[in-house]
Amino acid sequence: MADDASSSSACTGNLVDNSVNQDELIMKQQREIEKEISETIPLVGDLEPLSTLESEYTEDPIYLLKVKDLSAKYKYIRRTRPDGNCFFRAFSYAYLEHLLTDKTEYNKFYEIAKNSKEILVALGFPQFTVEDFYETFMEVVQRVGEQAGGSPEAIDPVRSELHDKFNKQGYSDYIVVYLRLVTSGQLQTQHDFYQNFIEGPRTVTEFCRQEVEPMYKESDHIHIIALSNALNVGVRVKYMDRGEGSQVIAHDFPEGSKPLVHLLYRPGHYDILYA
Amino acid sequence: MADMGEKYNTKCPGVKRLMREAMELAEATEEYCARPLEDNLFEWHFTVQGPKGTEFEDGIYHGRILLPKEYPMHPPHIILLTPNGRFEVNKKICLSISGHHPETWQPSWSIRTALLALIAFMPTPAEGTIGSLDYSPAERKILAKKSRNWACPQCGEISNLLSSTAAKPITEEEQSVLSQIAFKGEEEQTAKPPEDPAHDVEPQSLESTDNTTNFLDQLTEILVALLIGAIGIFIYRRWNVHETVGSDDL
Repeated sequence: MADDASSSSACTGNLVDNSVNQDELIMKQQREIEKEISETIPLVGDLEPLSTLESEYTEDPIYLLKVKDLSAKYKYIRRTRPDGNCFFRAFSYAYLEHLLTDKTEYNKFYEIAKNSKEILVALGFPQFTVEDFYETFMEVVQRVGEQAGGSPEAIDPVRSELHDKFNKQGYSDYIVVYLRLVTSGQLQTQHDFYQNFIEGPRTVTEFCRQEVEPMYKESDHIHIIALSNALNVGVRVKYMDRGEGSQVIAHDFPEGSKPLVHLLYRPGHYDILYA
Repeated sequence: MADMGEKYNTKCPGVKRLMREAMELAEATEEYCARPLEDNLFEWHFTVQGPKGTEFEDGIYHGRILLPKEYPMHPPHIILLTPNGRFEVNKKICLSISGHHPETWQPSWSIRTALLALIAFMPTPAEGTIGSLDYSPAERKILAKKSRNWACPQCGEISNLLSSTAAKPITEEEQSVLSQIAFKGEEEQTAKPPEDPAHDVEPQSLESTDNTTNFLDQLTEILVALLIGAIGIFIYRRWNVHETVGSDDL
């Protein structure tokens, strides 16, 4: 009993310090977890052989079969940070990377991108902020254009510059925001069509405000359909989940287009695939 | 602003954005004005005119805007300094969309959006939300009248800060956004140790602006510490006495 009393008094004596430290510790821990995610998983990672995917699923026969199926068509994977923006980040990275090697496609895209701001302003988006995102976005696009279709020696420095920009939170997020706006613009311009995809009583505009324009909101089919249509870019998404069969099902957006961007979808997340 | 250019990396999109907003808001209007502190682009002071046709219409309210380093990806926080009877002063309040979708700040909104939304939100019922006050219209009117003589230690008499120029009219789009924005106090704020009031929200300069509140907070903290310590000793003593008495009884 005497022991109990003294030990509890020891605690009481330190109570104040402890309680303050507790709060601090919890918050510190939370910040550290967030920091760890942002430090261990880059916004856009390096190219990795597809076999790294296999090692994730050594105990999982269903996924192993599917990885095997995937490896018949793809050799590499580039992972993105799972922060809810992964579709937009993966899409823009893969597409800009492709544009480096395809001048014709670049010219086509440049025109679409250049005109995209006017569409958004006409829809009532605040000109002041749209311009801000547009300029940063175009700065990155134009840098790609300077060497698009050039020799490997000319392309390589731009490629690594692109990689750096995509891993700088400021730039990277600005690109994501702009593509979110473009997606929202497309949904609102064609709202009669897209209304059919929206479950529940929300209007297209409400959906855009709640699920498209805010950062960190995950992307669904409707986002991909809208963005690929707005920019006229073919995207193939390979859906890898626990579903039946050993094949990884592919979806092309817009339907019937020639895919220039290949993404791997696993529930809740998109990464980039390379043949 | 020239100094800011040297101090911050103007290539960084967030910094560029804030400098643009500072330019856009450089001229005071009759409804609002806002500008960054001389030495910190991530802390602004603002002044708003109370909304017309409400108990706040005679009031002028001043406060701070704290911009997270992730701005505009994350929303600004607002702290009202002028007593107004609608929001607690010196308490961080943040924007949210009213209803079921909180925390949906959009990067295409701006400090102007936040200020217009604040003005529009003032007359809404407090309904016991954190950071809200439910003063009677009469009390708010008194505070509104008083507010005209309120002075900010850094910006001076706030009644001189607004101008007679009408602000850029609110677009239809903005109007529909404004009607959805709500403000509430930060829940975690009270649980936070006062040594770390800025959290990672503001990069610098909190001490310089918040000396009095910090000092008071610290004083309270020390008093609470002493009190709990005293209670601890008291309980310990009681235990000892109890135990001594107990063994004596045996």
